[in-house]
Amino acid sequence: MIGPGIKRGTAELAVLSVLEEGPLHGYELARRIEQQTKGALRFTLAALYPMLYRMEQRGWIRGSWETSQQGRRRRCYRLTAAGKMKLSPLRKEWSELFSALRRLTKVSHA
Amino acid sequence: MPDWEAVVEQHLAGLALEPAEIADVIAELAAHLAETYEGLRRQGVPEGIAARQAMLEVPDWKALRLRICAAKKMEDEMPNRIRQMWFPSLLTMTLSSGLLMVLQKNGLHPRIVTWNGLDSIFFYVPWLLTLPLSGALGAYISARAGGSTRAMLFSGVFPVLAMLACFFLVLPFSLVIDRNVAFHFKMQGLLSGLIGWVLVPGVALLLGALPIQILHARQMDSQRVPTA
Repeated sequence: MIGPGIKRGTAELAVLSVLEEGPLHGYELARRIEQQTKGALRFTLAALYPMLYRMEQRGWIRGSWETSQQGRRRRCYRLTAAGKMKLSPLRKEWSELFSALRRLTKVSHA
Repeated sequence: MPDWEAVVEQHLAGLALEPAEIADVIAELAAHLAETYEGLRRQGVPEGIAARQAMLEVPDWKALRLRICAAKKMEDEMPNRIRQMWFPSLLTMTLSSGLLMVLQKNGLHPRIVTWNGLDSIFFYVPWLLTLPLSGALGAYISARAGGSTRAMLFSGVFPVLAMLACFFLVLPFSLVIDRNVAFHFKMQGLLSGLIGWVLVPGVALLLGALPIQILHARQMDSQRVPTA
């Protein structure tokens, strides 16, 4: 079973990676992650916002209010310098983990 | 289209944040729900079903409220378990055992009941009468901290669960050490102890915890908004 720490780590990596491409508001962010992972990762409102708020508190992302063309106020999130700095080691960490798992799987199937 | 701000505001009532922060959270979540709803409507989903599906984005509003608070205040999720379960459990335990000690110091003697085939069973009746209060307090503190039904009931009856664990920890030692006492006498003693210290106090604690849990569940149900 994937523990909450692992789940949280992958979710944070997903959010930071998508925001690296440009600022997005919560709904767009959730849809973008869903589209780019072909539905493998899906964030509900209940999962997304507590994570965004936590990441904002840590200074990795920053939210600011913007008004859409339809006149709706939406909070747009962008990656901060601290977030960019976090993204690089996070990618490395996950890449190492996946490589290790691949190696392990090969060994166990040998 | 539902008034999403009103829906979110109602479900997030009691969010322990600054008023300005609450307004921001409500506006943001309402915008998300509105966009989810509109996205479904664009796909041709009928209004009522679209509203219900949008509401499925949040399966548990109470949990969301707590997670938002924790995230905004940079709290980890682990202390939630301590607040929702272990702290109220220890409070129930301290209160119930403290009351028993106070009553015993003030000369309370047990009512001794002897049943056929069992050891004497000790009932501290005035203490048993106070136990619903302890159980209710434990369940209430757990509910206030956002505890689940299981956490509330666990907190309410924790003293007897601890006692039960003690009985079953002591039993194997007793079987090994007290070889002079016949097995069936030990079992009679165990059964009497379980009735006097677990079963009856457990029922008394539950009499206090259960109404609190039911009231809390009703309160949560009344906060749900029809989405059609």
